[in-house]
Amino acid sequence: MAEEGAAAATAEKIIHTYPLVRHSDMSEEMRTEAVELSVTACEKFSQNNELAARMVKESMDKKFGPAFHVVVGESYGFEITYECTTICYIYFGGNQAICIWKCS
Amino acid sequence: MLKAMVKRALNKDDDKLLIAKTLQRLDQKDASKSRANLADDEALEWLKPRVLIKPDDQDFVPEAELDEEVGRILTTINPQWVPVEVAYHYGQGKFIMKPKPAFGKAYPLYVYQGTAIRKDSDEAKAQIAAGYGMVGFDDAGPKRAKVKKAAAEEEEEEEPEAEPPPVEEAKPEADTTLEEGPAEEEVPEAAEPPPEPDVQDEQEVANEEVQEPEPEPEEKPETVEEEVIVVKPRVRKLANQFNFCERAALTYNFPRRSVETQTVPPPRANFGSTALQCIIFDFYQEDYARKMREKEEEKPKRLRKKKEKHAKSAQQIHDEHLAQRIREAWAILERLVNQNIYDDIAQDYRYWDDPSDEFREGMGSLLPLWRFQFEPMRSHAVCDMQWNPHYQDLFAVAYGSLDFTKQQKEGCVCLYSIKNPAYPEYAVITESPIICIDVYTETPYLICVGCYDGNVCVYNAQLSLESSYQYKSDSVRDKHSNIVWEVRWGARLIDGEASFFSVSGDGRVVQWAVMPGELRATTIIELRAPAAPVPGPDGTLIAVNSCGSCICFHPEKADIFLVGTEDGAIHTCSLKYNRSYVRSCQAHHMPVYRINYNYFNNSIYASCSGDWRVKIWEDGREEPLFMFELGSPVGDVKWAPYSSTVFAACTADGKVYVFDLNVNKYRPICVQAVVSKKTKKLTRLDFNPKLPVIVCGDTKGTCHVLKLSPNLRVMVKPPKKALSTDQRTLQIMKLDKLLTLVRDPPFTPGVVDEKFEDD
Repeated sequence: MAEEGAAAATAEKIIHTYPLVRHSDMSEEMRTEAVELSVTACEKFSQNNELAARMVKESMDKKFGPAFHVVVGESYGFEITYECTTICYIYFGGNQAICIWKCS
Repeated sequence: MLKAMVKRALNKDDDKLLIAKTLQRLDQKDASKSRANLADDEALEWLKPRVLIKPDDQDFVPEAELDEEVGRILTTINPQWVPVEVAYHYGQGKFIMKPKPAFGKAYPLYVYQGTAIRKDSDEAKAQIAAGYGMVGFDDAGPKRAKVKKAAAEEEEEEEPEAEPPPVEEAKPEADTTLEEGPAEEEVPEAAEPPPEPDVQDEQEVANEEVQEPEPEPEEKPETVEEEVIVVKPRVRKLANQFNFCERAALTYNFPRRSVETQTVPPPRANFGSTALQCIIFDFYQEDYARKMREKEEEKPKRLRKKKEKHAKSAQQIHDEHLAQRIREAWAILERLVNQNIYDDIAQDYRYWDDPSDEFREGMGSLLPLWRFQFEPMRSHAVCDMQWNPHYQDLFAVAYGSLDFTKQQKEGCVCLYSIKNPAYPEYAVITESPIICIDVYTETPYLICVGCYDGNVCVYNAQLSLESSYQYKSDSVRDKHSNIVWEVRWGARLIDGEASFFSVSGDGRVVQWAVMPGELRATTIIELRAPAAPVPGPDGTLIAVNSCGSCICFHPEKADIFLVGTEDGAIHTCSLKYNRSYVRSCQAHHMPVYRINYNYFNNSIYASCSGDWRVKIWEDGREEPLFMFELGSPVGDVKWAPYSSTVFAACTADGKVYVFDLNVNKYRPICVQAVVSKKTKKLTRLDFNPKLPVIVCGDTKGTCHVLKLSPNLRVMVKPPKKALSTDQRTLQIMKLDKLLTLVRDPPFTPGVVDEKFEDD
C-alpha cells in the first residue's frame, strides 16, 4: 500500500521572500496598504533603496495624509517619535528592513 | 449779507419785534460764519506781511464806508430783464406794451408732479379739515405735550422757520405754478430788486401787477398757525412742512468677541530598534517555525495528537518507530502467510493460461482467483470498485446497499491488495452506505466517495485508519437531496484546486472544489425531464428533474461529459452550459447504469442499462453501432484497456460477459457465471489497467478477481509490411476497420468534431 511519503525537509538555506511585520500599531487596513506598498516598492527598486523609500513615502502621503517618513535599508538603527497608530516596521525579502511612520 | 437785505427789506414793516428777533438770529449765524472765516484766515497767515500798493490817483474813501458791507445777492432773477417792454406798433402808429411772456426767462425742461404739498396750500388745508392726510407721530404722551407747548410758543418756534421764505419762496412758487398765477408771481419778483428801496409805495398801490413776496410769507404762516391751533387743536404736529416724515430704527449691534480653543495634540510615542541582518534572519526563522507549527495544527485532530505524542519525548518517538517497524514486519508476515495459504492461486494468477483456448476457436474463459471479503460487510453489496491507477495490485471498494427496502445503516470504504486477500489494507466504516467511489489519478491516496444520504466525502488513505474523512460536504447547505450515483474526479480548477463531479438522483450534477478545509459546491447542470411541468398544490408549475444515474467524462475534452438518467436518456453536456444539453438521446428504456468511453477511440462509448442491453455508441449518431441483449439487468460495462474491441459486462444473474467485436460482432466470446444467480447478483466490474485480471463485486460483499484467458486478450499482430507499428496504432486501426463495416449509412466523423468544437 501507499508508503508514507514523508517529505524529507531539506536542510538547505530557505530564502524567505514574504514580508514580515515586526512591529506595527496601524489599523488593519492601513497596515495591509503599507505592507503592499513596501513590497511593490522594494521589488520595483530592488537595487535602489532611496527610490523605494521615496515611492513608499509619496504613496503613503497621498493616501493617509502628509508627513510620512520611510527608511529602507539592510542595517541601521533608529530611535523615532511617531504619531500613535502610524508606525509599521517590516522585514522584507529576508534582508531588508522598512520602517514607516508618520510625524508632522 | 442776509442781515442787510432783511433790514432793507423789512424796515418798512411795522412788526418791530419780529424784525428784532430775526436780526438776533442772523447775528448768531454771522458770528458762527466769521469764526469759520477766521479759521480760513489762520490758514493763510503767512500772507500777512504783504503790503498793499495803492495807485496815487485812487479816490479816498472814508474808513466807515470801506467797512460797510455791500450786499450782493445771487438769485435766479435776471437783472437785465426789462419788465415793461415797449415796442412801436406800425399799424397803430404808436408805442405799445409788449405782451408779457408766459414764463419769463425760465424755461422748464422737465416738470415733475410731486406728491408733497405745502401744508399752507389750499389743498393741504382741505385735507387737514377733512381729518386725513396728516401723517404724524402717534399719540404718545410726551409728543402731545410737545405739540401743545409748540402751540403755546408759536411765535418763537415758528418765526425762524418762516424767515427764509424770501429766498426759498421763489422756487416753490415758480415750480408749483398750478394753483396761483405764475406770471403774476414771477414778474414782480424779477422786477423787484433794482427798484427795491424806492418803490415801496408803488408796490402797495399796484398790488395787482406787482406783488411783494415778503408780506405773503409773513402772513401765511400766521394764518396756518392760527388755524392749527384754533380749528384743530388736537392735530398732531407735522415733522416738517410737508405731510411726509421719515423714520429710521437702529438695531442693536452685538459686540464682537473672539473665542479660541485648543485641541489636544495627537498622541505620540517613541520607538526604536536596530535592523541588522542577523536580527532579520532570526525573526524570519522564528516566523517560519511558527508557520510550520500552525500548518500542523490545521491537520485533523487525531493526527495532531499523534504528532504531539511524537513531540513528547525521544523515548516515545523511539517506541513509535519501533511499533511501526513491528507493524510493518507483521504486515509482511501476514502477506507471507497468506501467500503460503493461497500459493496455488498465486501460481495460477502468474502462470496458468487455459490450454483449452487453443482449441476453442475465438472463445475464452475467466479463471477465478482470489475472493475478497471484509467480515463486517458481509451483508453489504459492493456498490463500486476501482483499481488504483498507481499501484497495480490495489483496488478500492465501496460497500453500500442497492436494496432500498432493507437499507444498511452504515457503509465502508476498503482498499484491498491482491497480495493480502484476507484483510483490507485500509478500511473505514462510514455513517452512510457508500454508493460510488473514485480514486484521484494525480494523488492516488485521495478517494472521493458518494453516499446514500447525498453527501460526498474525500478520504485520505495516507491518514491513519481511525481518522475518518478529510473533507465532507455540508449536510445542511450543499449536499445532494438524493443518492449520489457516481462521482468522478475532474480537471484541476484555475486556482489549482482539485475538483470532482457528482451526479445524483436529485437531477443535479455538482462540481466540488477541494478547498483547504472544505468542499465548495457548484451546480453544473440540472437535468430536466422531458415531461411537462407538473402543477403543484398551490397552482404553481413544478419542473420535474430527471434522475441522473451515471456520469462519464470525455477522455480528452475535459468539459464534455455524458450523463445517463434513470429514464434511459444519455445527455451529452458541457461544463460551459448549465441549461441545455449539447446532445440528448433516448438510449435505453430503463435506467442507464454505466457509460464508458473506449480507451482508443474517443468517439466510441458503451452504455449498459436495466433493460438488459449493452449498447455501443458513436458520438453524434442517433442509433447505436452495436446492441447486445444479455437477458438480465446489466450492472456495469467496461472497455478493456489493452484492446480497442474488447469490453466486459456483468449482469444481475451473476454472469460476466466478455465481448471482442473483432472476433464476434453478435455474441460474447466468454460468458462465465461467477456467482450463484439465486443468492447473489454481480454489481460492478473493473479491468486492471496493467494486469490481465478483472475484479467484479456482488451483492454479498464479495469481490472476485478473475484472470482473463489468452483468447480474451489477444493482441493485434502487426502486418508483415510494417512490423514496427506500435500496438496502440494497430488497435486504433483495428477498431476503425471494424467501424467502417458497421457504419451505415456512410458517416463522416467530422460532423461530430465540429459540433464539439463549437462549444
